[in-house]
Amino acid sequence: MTSSRATNRAMFWRIIRRLFGANPGRLFVMLLALGAGAAVTAALLNLQVDAKRRLTTEFRAFGANVIVLPKHASLSGSETLPESTIPSVPRNLGNAPVTMTASLHVIATVLSPQSGKSLSAVVAGKNPRLIGWVAPANATSLAPLGSPAIPAGPICMVGGRIGEQLRVEQGSSITLSNGDQKETCVAAGLGESGGPEDDQIVTDVRAAQRLAGLPGRISLIELTVPGSPGEIQSYIADLQHRLPDVDVRPIRQFTEGEAKIYNRISGLLTATVGIVLVLTGLCVMAAMTNVAMERKMDVGLMKAIGGSMRRVLRLFLAEAALLGLAGGIIGAAAGIFLSIGLGKAVFGVAARPRLIVYPVTVAITIIVAIISAFPLRRLASIRPASVFRGEA
Amino acid sequence: MFLRIVADSFGRRPRHKLLTGAALALGMGVATAALSVSLDVGDRLAKEFRSLGANLLVTPQADSLPLEIGGVDYRPVNAGAYLPEADLPKLKTIFWHNNIIGFSPVLEVPIEAWSPASKSSLTSAVVGNSSLIGTWAQHKVTIPDGTTYVTGVRETNPWWDVKGQWFGEDSLQCVVGVNLSKRIGAKIGDDLNVSSGGHTKWVTLKVVGVLSSGGSEDDAVVVPISVAQQIAGKPGEYRKLYVSALTKPEDAFAKRDPKSMSADEFERWSCSPYVSSIAHSIKQVLPGADVRVIRRVAEGEGAILTRVRMLLWLVTGAALLAAALAVGASSAASVIERRTEIGLMKALGAASGTVGFLLAAEQLLLAFVGGGIGYALGIVLARLVGEKIFGAAPEPSLMVFFVIIALAAGVTILGSALPLRRASRYEPALILRGE
Repeated sequence: MTSSRATNRAMFWRIIRRLFGANPGRLFVMLLALGAGAAVTAALLNLQVDAKRRLTTEFRAFGANVIVLPKHASLSGSETLPESTIPSVPRNLGNAPVTMTASLHVIATVLSPQSGKSLSAVVAGKNPRLIGWVAPANATSLAPLGSPAIPAGPICMVGGRIGEQLRVEQGSSITLSNGDQKETCVAAGLGESGGPEDDQIVTDVRAAQRLAGLPGRISLIELTVPGSPGEIQSYIADLQHRLPDVDVRPIRQFTEGEAKIYNRISGLLTATVGIVLVLTGLCVMAAMTNVAMERKMDVGLMKAIGGSMRRVLRLFLAEAALLGLAGGIIGAAAGIFLSIGLGKAVFGVAARPRLIVYPVTVAITIIVAIISAFPLRRLASIRPASVFRGEA
Repeated sequence: MFLRIVADSFGRRPRHKLLTGAALALGMGVATAALSVSLDVGDRLAKEFRSLGANLLVTPQADSLPLEIGGVDYRPVNAGAYLPEADLPKLKTIFWHNNIIGFSPVLEVPIEAWSPASKSSLTSAVVGNSSLIGTWAQHKVTIPDGTTYVTGVRETNPWWDVKGQWFGEDSLQCVVGVNLSKRIGAKIGDDLNVSSGGHTKWVTLKVVGVLSSGGSEDDAVVVPISVAQQIAGKPGEYRKLYVSALTKPEDAFAKRDPKSMSADEFERWSCSPYVSSIAHSIKQVLPGADVRVIRRVAEGEGAILTRVRMLLWLVTGAALLAAALAVGASSAASVIERRTEIGLMKALGAASGTVGFLLAAEQLLLAFVGGGIGYALGIVLARLVGEKIFGAAPEPSLMVFFVIIALAAGVTILGSALPLRRASRYEPALILRGE
């Protein structure tokens, strides 16, 4: 009994081997269809997960989205926060860093000794290492650092419109004064941003504190929190819980706009990827079924020499599963490269391969291949003789 | 005879043709859906980005520097310059008038506000220093060509959330910021007194809504601009104008200085809806105004839009590739399986070229039918996606149709070409003997 089962099994695999070897052209075609489907499935699944995460990073192009203010901040802007608030702000959300800018605002008289002009302007003291917003490229290239003709001293970034009105040049020195307090610094250009920075002078936070006579105080902290809308919400709730004495607010213009856009884009991506995957599966299935239907002769022959339909079908399903496995593995391997290429092209960083994607892809491919072989069941009612006579 | 053979082939093996056709239709359906969505998505997404609000800011050229901290301007009313409100309808006459989604002028006045309803009305605790923001909620603008256009802060500041309702234009109504409303105890339906100096002269406004914006407006009173003009003594003038415009992401060309361009380049620049060229054309219709691009909004938008568009194009490319390979495989299979038939035809004296031509004609016929059905299927899918996500279906485009038909024809011919070439080398005798 056991030996006959063993013989049976040996025969089974032998037939399978022959089925593969019989027609290399057909084998190639089937592997091509299955492999193409699997490659696109793997690449898209990989990209879909990765793209959503990257999008939240892209949104940081808008700059700060959360702001920390003194509680009951009134319009006079005189309330301030102690600097000790800064270390208690968590600097990470998941794996992504939270960018932070602390600043102190003070209204001061700005004098340019070179042009003799002066005006009142808002001086924003920021910690230079923490300046979060992006200065235009020309600001750094024109900055006077390292040039010997320039007096050494602290640098202040002069907003585009102030620069115009004061006729300040790169590298000339300007004086900021508030009451008896005076600070001198070297001007660097900022260009136009269309935002409030155009009308501000940005300098070191210590200088602004001396000007305002408020050592160790800051007006507000701006945070650039990466992550999906839900993650940002929970970060805000957590921060408010940690710092009950301050007011933590989302900048709704950006948090709400981003949430809307994020939902649209990720919905679009999911829908597109879903449709492409379903249709690609159906398309592969149709192509495979077409091939399977050509196996009439084989089925007829097997039945003629005494194979039961169940066993014949099992043979073909095993063949299909093996094909699916092979096609799936080839496709998944191609999919790795495809998704690396796609990720690089879109985000400049290769999409991180997600290992779970590949077994899923291979499993889907095998299922598609097996389902495609099922129409062979229709051949159960076929009489072998009519196949050979060429009638069916 | 030729047509008869082709017709016979379809009639004799309907299920085969159906399956090959189905593979083609599904493959081309993928291609159509992906292509239509990515063609359409740029414009739709650009519109979505307008939920970030204005991307252009207009200020008077002769203005003094605003002393702005946390979004509140500390300048007195008589400092700085103003622009005439009467010029605003001209915004809808510029070349890019269809790209302008909305605009709202703003006039800010520092005021004191108190609520006569609360009992300790004149104690200093209840009198709140605040600022009055005069603007348009839903203002009807009469454009010089006779049509009217409704715009206001709803378009330029869509994140402003009003409980209750917006004020009516030109009426003595107001919307109170949520913080201020708590501070001075003014609720919807209450009266609110505002004064721009001293408690001797004031204007009484009816509170119709409570505004929450997450910004400095939470501490302000928002009124129709005509009321703010009257309180400030600046009839028909505004200080700032926010414009929200649909733009094309800026590329390297757009960032060049228009003054350094040649006439041709300048024409190309001003005929592309870059945010800078829209700013340029707004400046031409508003004399004395300085139009600035709000870089934070405009550049972030441009960067993300470019990325998303590219992402979708690549997904489309991958979908096209998969569809093409599967369809190609399907048509290759249908040729491979017909060896006996090819052998028979050759044995009866058909030249290899004739056989190839015959099979190619069959495949092409299938490609046109399958491609057509696939196009219809894809359009339906693209509509579903478009309506579900953007609430608007993409327009079926004739270009997509031709691309799809050409793709279907190309892919089937390519898929069958290789097996056909091999078939032309078959020895009829060997095949017919079954070897």
